[in-house]
Amino acid sequence: MLRHVTRKAAGWLLMIAVATNATYFLASWFLDPRSNYQGLRPVRSEAQIDVALAPYNLDPRVPLVDRWWDWLTSVVLRFDWGKSPTGVSVNGEIGYRSLVSAELVVLATVLSVVVGVALGVHTASRQYGWADRVSQAVSIVVFNIPTSVAALAVVFVAIWLNQHAGLHFLYVAGENSPDVHGLLPTIGDRLLHLILPTLTLTLMGYVGYHLTQRSLLLDTINADFVRTAQATGLTRAQAIRRHALRTALIPTATSVAFSVPAIFTGAIITETIFGWNGMGRYFVQTISKNDVHGTVATAAFAAALTAIGAILADIATVFLDPRVRVS
Amino acid sequence: MTLTTTLTDPAAPADATPVLSVRDLWISFPSEAGPVEAVRGVGFDLQPGRTLGIVGESGSGKSATAMGIMGLLPPSATVSGEVLLGGRDLVGLGDKELSGVRGNGIGMVFQDPLSALTPIYSVGRLLRDALRVHQDLTKQAAWEQAVELLDLVGIPDPRERAKSFPHEFSGGMRQRVVIAMAIANKPSVLVADEPTTALDVTVQAQILDVLRLAQRETGAGLVLITHDLGVVAGYADDVAVMYAGRFVERAGVDQLFRRPTMPYTARLLAAVPTVDSGVHRPLVAIGGEPPTPADLPAGCPFASRCAVALDACRAEEPALREVTGHGHVACLRADEVADGTLDPAGPEGAADEHPGPVRTGAGEVVLRVEDLVKTFPITKGALLKRRVGTLHAVNGVGFELRAGETLGLVGESGSGKTTTLLEVLRLRRPEGGRIEIAGTEVGTARSAADVRELRQNVQIVMQDPLGALDPRLPVFQLLAEPLQAIGRDRDAIRTRVHELLTLVGLDASVGDRFPATLSGGQRQRVGIARALATEPKLLALDEPLSALDVSVQAGVINLLARLKRELGLAYLVVAHDLAVVRYISDRIAVMYLGHIVETGDTEAIFADPKHPYTRALLSAIPVPDPQRERTRERTVLRGELPSAARLPAGCVFVDRCPLYRLAGEDVRLRCRTERPAPSVVAGQPGHAYACHAA
Repeated sequence: MLRHVTRKAAGWLLMIAVATNATYFLASWFLDPRSNYQGLRPVRSEAQIDVALAPYNLDPRVPLVDRWWDWLTSVVLRFDWGKSPTGVSVNGEIGYRSLVSAELVVLATVLSVVVGVALGVHTASRQYGWADRVSQAVSIVVFNIPTSVAALAVVFVAIWLNQHAGLHFLYVAGENSPDVHGLLPTIGDRLLHLILPTLTLTLMGYVGYHLTQRSLLLDTINADFVRTAQATGLTRAQAIRRHALRTALIPTATSVAFSVPAIFTGAIITETIFGWNGMGRYFVQTISKNDVHGTVATAAFAAALTAIGAILADIATVFLDPRVRVS
Repeated sequence: MTLTTTLTDPAAPADATPVLSVRDLWISFPSEAGPVEAVRGVGFDLQPGRTLGIVGESGSGKSATAMGIMGLLPPSATVSGEVLLGGRDLVGLGDKELSGVRGNGIGMVFQDPLSALTPIYSVGRLLRDALRVHQDLTKQAAWEQAVELLDLVGIPDPRERAKSFPHEFSGGMRQRVVIAMAIANKPSVLVADEPTTALDVTVQAQILDVLRLAQRETGAGLVLITHDLGVVAGYADDVAVMYAGRFVERAGVDQLFRRPTMPYTARLLAAVPTVDSGVHRPLVAIGGEPPTPADLPAGCPFASRCAVALDACRAEEPALREVTGHGHVACLRADEVADGTLDPAGPEGAADEHPGPVRTGAGEVVLRVEDLVKTFPITKGALLKRRVGTLHAVNGVGFELRAGETLGLVGESGSGKTTTLLEVLRLRRPEGGRIEIAGTEVGTARSAADVRELRQNVQIVMQDPLGALDPRLPVFQLLAEPLQAIGRDRDAIRTRVHELLTLVGLDASVGDRFPATLSGGQRQRVGIARALATEPKLLALDEPLSALDVSVQAGVINLLARLKRELGLAYLVVAHDLAVVRYISDRIAVMYLGHIVETGDTEAIFADPKHPYTRALLSAIPVPDPQRERTRERTVLRGELPSAARLPAGCVFVDRCPLYRLAGEDVRLRCRTERPAPSVVAGQPGHAYACHAA
């Protein structure tokens, strides 16, 4: 198992290196860091802008291959991913923002999976019952609501609740309050800020798991081996849990593992509406600000997450389906 | 490795208290057309150590009865009546209470061992879990017991094999595991639902022995549900015949087979092809189809198919009543049948046509296969497939088939019979050897038109008619399609389709219907009609009858015989049911691991089988006659068909051969080192076998 994971990880590392370098060249060709200085007053000349960019290894007069080599050596030797055209350290930004995103995304993903799979199992064992019909109708409606609408609706409901019920713990903006100090108060404050965005992301995320898990489980729930398990003395619920669900979970586990990078860098709308400075917004900002190093670092970050997701998916599959271990 | 056994009647306790009593069991399922009564008032007592055989066709409610006893019906089903297990009524208990009974008081063996075991758990784990549901055992102790159980049901090297997953076992071995799970907690009742239907006939004999052993080990009463009257004859103490959700006859096995009293039972027995020694008796098809449970007629459900039905039969459904000296029968005329004054087949019931293989004289050679070879590569590795071995599916097979003749290819699964058939149908140059169809060597045809003409001469009838017919085309379109393919015009097609429907005995109105609305027998007739559309010379039939019920099967067998006689067709039949093969084949080729080990006229092979494998195969088939079934000598083959990837250097059958073990040292050496060539039996031209020892 360990050997298998190591081999896989080595393969993924190679893939990340190739993808990141390719992104570097693409970004350097298409993004123009000089635009950050062109709107400034007093107006600067081309040469002045180039000089200003030179310390950040973005000087267009230097051949691209040389800039790439400098960037690569600094990444490999010092793990320094460079600076933005205005001199902000990429490492610092990503270090901070990835933590913010993780805070936002990890809890929401876990909740989406738990809620979605639980609903899927519950409704699949009662196919065409009223619970199944109602929850499926709700899920399909939610599935068709755009994130921005859902997030704004959550905000409105929260404000209404705050006003009418006299509740004042539902924060609709920011990741923390500026004036809180001390460890425990900070954690509590951050958790309170987390409620609404997590709710939104969970609402958007659970539907897919509910609908796919339901149909996956329906494929195995009437299998002969579930009946055999019942015949040995398990109740229907036990037989479904121990025999049907385990096989039906494999595709879900894989899809969760692979969706992690997309959620990390894709929660832009939620981040924007609730005012969180996460990876999703950073990704959009770096591109719009022609920040070559930021874009490349974000891409590398997403690639690393994909690799981690894929390896986790492999481990989950082996855990769920012991047959894989044999072959 | 053989075991020659003589079956004896298990000791029958006279008046023990029944372990299982079913009283007036009714089961209904909701459907769009209102509730469907699948089981209507079934009742019986089961004594410990005894076996009750429940026989019936598909849709008769026998599986629903089994599920009702087990409490495994879907929640939507409505159950009433009583199922008393050791005095406790199981009907109406919740899932939780029932789960305490299932596996503990009642164990169940299922039909399809390939899907009955959870694929992601090792068999040892499955057994361990089954034990720990009802017994307070440590994992270690339960594992030890699981290994013992595997040993009991005859899994070689049980300690190692317990760690294997179900997909690493063959069908027969998996069924042994299912039996081990059923008896793990020593239940007092075993329910076996078609336990051997999905298995080869040689494996069936082994599994029935294991079931017998399991029953002896636990002293359990067994409810054996099957459609195979031969299995019942050899195994059951009492037999109940189900039709349209009810028991229509219930009697001791000897009484039932000596004089079947319900006309349905009598006609069913007459419709079963058998491999009895002695002369061929003609098959009498019952005619019609069993009623669907959703739409039962008013009176006796069998009345419409019964030859001796009275008007009173159509008015009211007769109750199950005792007939002196017999058992219980649900028929108004049971007394007349029982005392022999009424022939249930009716006055005109004698064979209306002789369905036996009538040879229409040796015609021209339609198919000639010489030294056919087909191999499959065994590959390994996910990305770069490297060849690690070769599977010899067909190895030097040769035969000749003339117009008006039927050749049956028989053998266990994996013997290469279907591969041979497919190679013939492929119409490409074979890997080795040659195939000649109607005088043209396959593979030499130069133009596409030549190939198309060749294709027109060879057609196939598939095993599962529902899968073989496009569900979205009406029958007319299905039959017209092959005609369009050969470029007939519209009027010609219309006339030909009507001709075809008449030819296979279907009404012209069937043309507008979709396959899903037809019954199994009608569907297979459509399949045959479609194959006949282009007026082929050779028809390849791949298990043409195995998806059909016994009472319907006989009609299709008779149809095939008539078509061959009238159209002078040649049939190449692959079938696992040797009894059926006997009825439709003129000649038989017995295949083992890609080789033909014996070939000859059907009657010659059945009367005087030479090759030890043929003998074992024939003796494995149960005979629907309890006396003969229980007293005859059986040669049960040990083990299963080995892999065709590593063929032995000598005779391919050497590992399982009963003669090899008894042979002298010189013969043994030849068996191991020299592959036997076919030798002709003296005085029987055309009967050849390949064996050193026989």
